[in-house]
Amino acid sequence: MNRRIELDALLTVFLILLFSSTFLANIPTAFAQEVPKGSWVDEIVLFVEQDEAKVIDMLLKNEIQAYFRDITDPELFKTVKASPDLWYAISYGLYFDLTFNPSGPEFLTGKLNPFSVPRIREAMNYLVDRKYICDEIMAGMAVPKYTTLTPAFPDYARYAEIVKLIEKEYSYNFDKAKEIITEEMIKLDAELKDGKWYYKGELVALIFIVRVEDQRRAIGDYIASQLEKVGFTVDRQYKTSREAAPIWIRSNPAEGLWHLYTGGWIVQLISRDESDNFGYFYTSRGRADPLWQAYKPSPEFDEVAGKLWNREFTTIEERDRLMREALRLSMEDSVRIWLVNQIAPWPARKEISLAYDLSGGFSSARLYPYTIRYVNRVGGTVKAATSDLMVEPVNPVAGSNWVYDHVYYDPLGDPSAIPDPFTGLYWPQRVEKAEVYVLEGLPVGVTLDWVSLKFVGSIDVPTDAWYDWDAEKQEIIYASPGTTAKTKTVIYYDENLFKMKYHDGSKLSLADFVFSYILTFDMAKPESPVYDEAYLPSFEAFREYFKGFRIISKDPLIIEYYSDMVYLDAEYIAADAANAFDPVYAYGPAPWHTITIGWLAEANNELAFSSSKAAKINIEQANYIAGPALNILKKYLDKAISEKFIPYKNVLGNYISEAEALERYNNLKRLYEAKGHFLVGNGPVYLEKVDSINRIVVLRANREFPDPADKWLKFSEPMIPEVKVTLEPTILRGLPSEASVSITFKGQPYKVSDIQSVKYIIMTPTEVLVGSAEPIRDGLWRIIMEPEKTILLSSGTISVDVIAVSKLVGMPSMTAGSTTVMSISESLAGEMAKIKTDYETKISGLRSELTTTINTLSSKIDSLSITVNMLMGISVVTLIIAIAAIVLPLLRKK
Amino acid sequence: MIPKIIGYLFKRAFMLLITVVAAIYITILVANMGGYVDEIIKSEIYLLVSQSIRQNPAYRMLNETQIMRLINEIYTLEIEKIGFDKPFVYRSFIYLKDAISLNLGRALFLYSDSGSKSVRIIILERLPNTVLLFTTTQLILFFIGLFFGLFLSRRYGSLPDKISVLLSPLSSLPGWFYGIFLILIFASLFRSWFGVGLPYGGMVDPPPPTDKLLYALEVLKHMILPISSWLVAYSFINIYVRRTFFLMFSSEDYVELAKAKGLPESLIQRRYILRPTLPPIITDFSLTLIGSWMGAIITERVFNWPGIGSLFYAASMIFDTPVLVGLVVIYAYLLAVTVFTLELVYAILDPRIRAGGA
Repeated sequence: MNRRIELDALLTVFLILLFSSTFLANIPTAFAQEVPKGSWVDEIVLFVEQDEAKVIDMLLKNEIQAYFRDITDPELFKTVKASPDLWYAISYGLYFDLTFNPSGPEFLTGKLNPFSVPRIREAMNYLVDRKYICDEIMAGMAVPKYTTLTPAFPDYARYAEIVKLIEKEYSYNFDKAKEIITEEMIKLDAELKDGKWYYKGELVALIFIVRVEDQRRAIGDYIASQLEKVGFTVDRQYKTSREAAPIWIRSNPAEGLWHLYTGGWIVQLISRDESDNFGYFYTSRGRADPLWQAYKPSPEFDEVAGKLWNREFTTIEERDRLMREALRLSMEDSVRIWLVNQIAPWPARKEISLAYDLSGGFSSARLYPYTIRYVNRVGGTVKAATSDLMVEPVNPVAGSNWVYDHVYYDPLGDPSAIPDPFTGLYWPQRVEKAEVYVLEGLPVGVTLDWVSLKFVGSIDVPTDAWYDWDAEKQEIIYASPGTTAKTKTVIYYDENLFKMKYHDGSKLSLADFVFSYILTFDMAKPESPVYDEAYLPSFEAFREYFKGFRIISKDPLIIEYYSDMVYLDAEYIAADAANAFDPVYAYGPAPWHTITIGWLAEANNELAFSSSKAAKINIEQANYIAGPALNILKKYLDKAISEKFIPYKNVLGNYISEAEALERYNNLKRLYEAKGHFLVGNGPVYLEKVDSINRIVVLRANREFPDPADKWLKFSEPMIPEVKVTLEPTILRGLPSEASVSITFKGQPYKVSDIQSVKYIIMTPTEVLVGSAEPIRDGLWRIIMEPEKTILLSSGTISVDVIAVSKLVGMPSMTAGSTTVMSISESLAGEMAKIKTDYETKISGLRSELTTTINTLSSKIDSLSITVNMLMGISVVTLIIAIAAIVLPLLRKK
Repeated sequence: MIPKIIGYLFKRAFMLLITVVAAIYITILVANMGGYVDEIIKSEIYLLVSQSIRQNPAYRMLNETQIMRLINEIYTLEIEKIGFDKPFVYRSFIYLKDAISLNLGRALFLYSDSGSKSVRIIILERLPNTVLLFTTTQLILFFIGLFFGLFLSRRYGSLPDKISVLLSPLSSLPGWFYGIFLILIFASLFRSWFGVGLPYGGMVDPPPPTDKLLYALEVLKHMILPISSWLVAYSFINIYVRRTFFLMFSSEDYVELAKAKGLPESLIQRRYILRPTLPPIITDFSLTLIGSWMGAIITERVFNWPGIGSLFYAASMIFDTPVLVGLVVIYAYLLAVTVFTLELVYAILDPRIRAGGA
């Protein structure tokens, strides 16, 4: 009995706990929580899992919340799409092409190379059905690609109308391809016998190098079969990247070891300027390899591509003209034809949200640590798998540049300016404002209001601006009189910049900037103990354009930056200046004291920052997070503490006191003892733990971070405009016509100020009309087609493509509507015909109504006559009866 | 007598050394495809360098000549960094010299998990994980085979014997194949049914526990499925082989005689069956242990286990010759030392060898 009571009591307690825990678990979602400082979540755990199938299963089971790698298996993508618990971001970083060997028309072997003829290469555009590749081979994980411009990048939006024209012009047309190829092959003295091409009595056999690692194998098979259909014999050679590279890149094209190759290219950053693509992909400027040296574009194309490659344009309009020309000519050249742009899906659970980059997905988005969060709650742990981690040693000066390592060391830093994941433009993070001065005649524009742009006649670098570093005398070298620059940027940093703390508790200071400046030069000086010849090439490139650096105000920090580097966007120029010497280096965050211990180790030939120097003198490369380098770094930290070491004391002694240096070193030591690494930054998260054997990295929220977590919330999702066009049912040639364009995002009107342009394109067999829409109000735009435009249209049904480009997202949105075009006479004739038809219909209606009425009347009359006849019959009978009644009594009386 | 043994051992040692040297040099040649890998690697490096420079906004303003110069300078540095500025034949003998002297040198591309380029560290960081998993597995398999084989050899034709024979074809499929099913059942489906399951892979669940005991328990938990997959695949064939082996020895005349003398069964097993079969069992055991140190490429990949097998795979994929040579050298040396030790033991134990009959 007692046991029963105990069991009942236990059960009751259990149930109470269960319900209360369920209730308590629901409380946080019911109430709005305070926005924390630093990252939204408490912890981000990254680990390695390369098996996509496992990853998707783990996502479905909520074992992990995001995958920091794109899925390549179409079946798994279907699972992701079908799951109510998952969502996915899309990026466009990878694309495939068909590269041709342009040598010929005969190789050194005497064999024919049809692809030496530009028209045959151009015809390949018609021979390949890109839509088929996207739908059937890539299972919907790709979009057709016709030009070198990437769909998600600003240049595609900028020239969307010409790209659209090209897409229509070069769409799949097998017959046209066959016709052109036949025509050109005959010109080459080739013969078509029994459906096969022969040259000098031998079959024209194309050596097709088909890559096997991905869908390019199937793409290669498809293209080979298309080539066979037009009479070529195809020798399919399936090869991996490694096997193919020596053949297509390094062999002499004239040797004829190959004819065509399924190429693949990747970009991991949104490029705001793709103008040099033409020089790179179509001319010998691109590379020194034998294949590139065999490129012989037409003089016209070469000139255009060359001007774009060398930025020989002074206005945006001139660049536009060159780009349009280059796009058209590149299709005629077609030394490579573009096939598809892969749609790379990055899956995550619906409970979480994070910014992603339209080029590099989750892992390349610089804003991911600032935005990753649970949608309905603050805090928590996000576990994310990735396909690799800790690929190479990590150190801020010359450490790993793998995206798999950027994914955990980038979040540790807090750069002065951060790239927009959807447009590539820079936003200020630790900068109040920037003034950019550019020489008149340079093609620079500005979009965001944190940067002001002014054009000036000349820019002189003041003689008190820092220009170089004397490693021997340990002095700063100032700009010599007469030094000029193409740009001058004044950066006004955040007034609270020097109140920020690093993860080890040290305060950020001007010394971090000055140290960064000196190190930039010192590593390139042979007299320096940290001289590294592997650093020279990139330094020399920097030296080409760097013209000066001047500190105007120490706190709040205001600097001037002089440079010959010119970008199309002033925001880029400003970001370049703001980030130049801030303590977030190319390979991680770096306060001066953490770099110093590596500096000491390198100066004593025990570690080297770069892998090249480490290999050359056969020592370990500096790794700030794991491995044998840690003990060496620890040794030099102790040395720095004991010596109260101040690097470059001659200069930095003015910015750092011995007490401050000691405090910083001790802070670092405490952090190392607690966390086991030396990687310190000032970002929204800090490095809590590294398990190098199991490749696990744990990042924790930095609650000392100055900004609230919602600062970058608007970048959680790209505001890709949703566009609808409503056209008039008929456009009369020679008369104005209007159409309305609705632009929304998730049902809400898209702000006019956030729209860069709304263009329309009308293509008829004879004319292509391009125009712009004008705003009416937020979410509503109007297209007015003037009479002089509509008069150019030919009669019939036309399609109107509308392209909206947002300032918030690099990717243009497109929609199409259709309507009918006719002339006024046709319209009048149509109206007359309509009226005639109308009247005929009406008359016919009346006629039938009348007939019906007559029929009704006649039937009524008929029924009435029957009644009358009956009545008459009855009357006759009645009369007879009456007569009989009268006559019979008379007869009886008689 | 002793000089004979020494002479014999010296001869064997010399032969083993030649075998090891030949094996290492062949490995160097194969790993480099006779020098063709140079071309491949140079092409790849050039491609990577030119791509990275092109995509770097910092170099946007450089003109054509400057870009080309930059690419060529960085390319040359990269080539020098991995020693590819010297001809392959020259390098192949450097590799051989380093390998024989156990100076494993620096990897071309791979890094150790902790970020070192030293081949020694790269291998030594992975070896414990492999030993932990595969040596444990092989030990379990060995003893299962030994005990159940002996047990069934005495019960030839019994039901357990028939079941064992029936299940022995399970080994026609490799361990990793069962591993996939075990993951599906115990990691995936169990989570769907019960909300909990065994790990999908790895050595610990992220984030790793900070407490050492908990860490060890985590590792043990993660060993369950990979070990089980191999046990399913190889236990029965091991039992079958041992049981057949013991059966053959059980029918020897001296065993029959011992039985006829009425000696106890345990004594017969220990003295008349196990003892004479000990040398081949020890040989088998030794070689199995060494073999286990090389890991298992696919099983490690299926279970995401950071061992020697996956290192071997990674090194093969990127033609990292020093790492491949390092792995082969260690294996070759271990094998040679083991074989030599066994020769020594046999020479002492086996009168035929002692008499120089070998």
